[in-house]
Amino acid sequence: MRQVLAGHGASRGNALGRARLRLPLLLDVAEDRIGTDQVDAELARLHAAVAAVREEILALRDRLQGALSHEVGEFIDMHSLLLDDPELLRGVEELIRKGLHGADYALRLQRDRLAAVFAEMDDPYFRNRIDDINHVISRLHAALHKRTGDVRGVAGEVLVTDAVAPSELAQLQSQGVVAVVTTGGSTLSHSAILARSLHLPLVVGATQALQQVNDGDVLVVDGAGGQVVVEPSAADLREYRARVRDERRERKQLYRLRREPSRTVDGVDVRIFANAESREDVAEAHALGAAGIGLYRTEFLFMGETLPDEDAQFRAYRDVALGMTGRTVTIRTLDIGADKADRTGLALTDEPNPALGLRGVRLSLSRAEIFEAQMRAIVRASGYGPVRVLVPMVSGREEIVATAALLKRVRRDLTSEGHEIAEHIPLGAMIEVPAAAISLPGFIDVVDFVSVGTNDLVQYLLAADRNNEALGELYTPLHPAVLRLLENVIRIARRRAKPLAMCGEMAGDAQFTPLLLALGLEEFSLHPGTLLEVRRAIRACDLDALRSRAPALLRARDRAGIEKWMRANAPADA
Amino acid sequence: MIERQLLVANKLGLHARATAKLVQTLAPFRCNATLTAKGREVNAKSIMGVMLLAAGHGTPVVLRVEGDDETAAADAISALFERRFDEEG
Repeated sequence: MRQVLAGHGASRGNALGRARLRLPLLLDVAEDRIGTDQVDAELARLHAAVAAVREEILALRDRLQGALSHEVGEFIDMHSLLLDDPELLRGVEELIRKGLHGADYALRLQRDRLAAVFAEMDDPYFRNRIDDINHVISRLHAALHKRTGDVRGVAGEVLVTDAVAPSELAQLQSQGVVAVVTTGGSTLSHSAILARSLHLPLVVGATQALQQVNDGDVLVVDGAGGQVVVEPSAADLREYRARVRDERRERKQLYRLRREPSRTVDGVDVRIFANAESREDVAEAHALGAAGIGLYRTEFLFMGETLPDEDAQFRAYRDVALGMTGRTVTIRTLDIGADKADRTGLALTDEPNPALGLRGVRLSLSRAEIFEAQMRAIVRASGYGPVRVLVPMVSGREEIVATAALLKRVRRDLTSEGHEIAEHIPLGAMIEVPAAAISLPGFIDVVDFVSVGTNDLVQYLLAADRNNEALGELYTPLHPAVLRLLENVIRIARRRAKPLAMCGEMAGDAQFTPLLLALGLEEFSLHPGTLLEVRRAIRACDLDALRSRAPALLRARDRAGIEKWMRANAPADA
Repeated sequence: MIERQLLVANKLGLHARATAKLVQTLAPFRCNATLTAKGREVNAKSIMGVMLLAAGHGTPVVLRVEGDDETAAADAISALFERRFDEEG
């Protein structure tokens, strides 16, 4: 029977496929007993599952090299250590051998026992490690059922589940899963961001989905509208086909914009830079006509077993400069902290509060020899094309002054060593700590440009972790405090004639483009995948008119007021 | 069998990274090793076991190792505790 389920659109795109339900962790395993003659077979199933999951984890790591590797790499490390853990498995084996339970129920019992122990812990850090164990056990459980195929994704299927981990998405997509529907989740979660960059349609918060959908039902998923139609009618199918046609036509039209300027209706050219970390990103940015690289992430160089030396870094930075053929390349110095741990032991992984810990420029300044090697590599690359240095996690003047002194010394050293370097290497600060945003007038004289990192700025300003789903929509750039702070920072930079770009998620989301233009933003830096959409939005905007409506935007007292402004000022064809 | 009294002196306690280091340090040794804290004894070669100790800063632990290479293993682990798991600060 036809049914419509409402959720929130977390990643746009249309999909038509059969539903595959994945029930919440081990909920469906009932207690069982096996005969002593079945023990060996159950142990063999368990071991085959362990081997299969080990294989999956290795394959996942391979696939994730490049673009999003550091986002999920850390989960994967923890998971592979747990998978090889002697205790975890021995417990399950004993439940099979002595308790005479099947492998499925043994896994569930082991998980429940561990959950009970973890739940008793006082320290929330230790208590939350149960999440990692849950993930590994549910993967094992999935692998146990590979034979009946009721858990892994199959081509043409829509996965319906309670929650999906970021690390699962790429795998599901490679198995041919066409869309994901979850009962929980938020449009701002890590999984949602990842789904958007994979172009995998995702509807979150479809609370009734697990009750209303049966395995094998045909579903139409509208990832933009956040709607799922169960057992679609002829009219639904017609509508779906029309949407797919529109989508295709739109993509084609969008692609034509690669050679067009990012110019507003009233003739103002806005600069769009690209965020990049891989060679592919750089090539794509160049092909789509980016003004340059606004944020080149260097963390991936530090994800190996050993620290990269100056030469290895130099070659990477030089190649980006060469790849952009004379367009500006902004290289961000190392931005790791305890939440993006490297394997070299550089960052602490065990800080109680990583978001507020030793990260970004704080870490760089505490490890002088590493900072100097990176700075030397960047400055050497400036001989091959215009390069700028961007410093993350700045909270005040002292850090920029110290970095400027280092840059100056490195320039002098390299010149006397006979290297060819640029006459001018602009130094910029990331504005992502509220203190830096507020005290910008006090140090803008020592920077050449600024770049606003909205992801962290919003999270620090609102004291809301964007990956904490319990907070729901509390993490949002659409808060009056965020807009006022942004407007203020943009105004200060403009008055002092310092270029200012925005490089967070907000800059790459076309629905925010009119709002950002109204606040005075003139440079965007975004993932190449969203460049053309933002360019299209810019081309539909009348900058003069939007600026004149900025006061009304800044008067909005809540999210609803801001959204009302956005609706009133959305470009006609967006 | 060798038994040593150790103290979790690093600021962050036996969190993920320290635990991983401990387990990886022990992996090449053939001997059996356990850690006991707060009345619970766990396999020191198991990341999950050590996590279950939830041993924060200042927790006294007892290391027991038994096997051919027990002296070398006990020394390696004692040294790791003394170096505070190479944590900074």
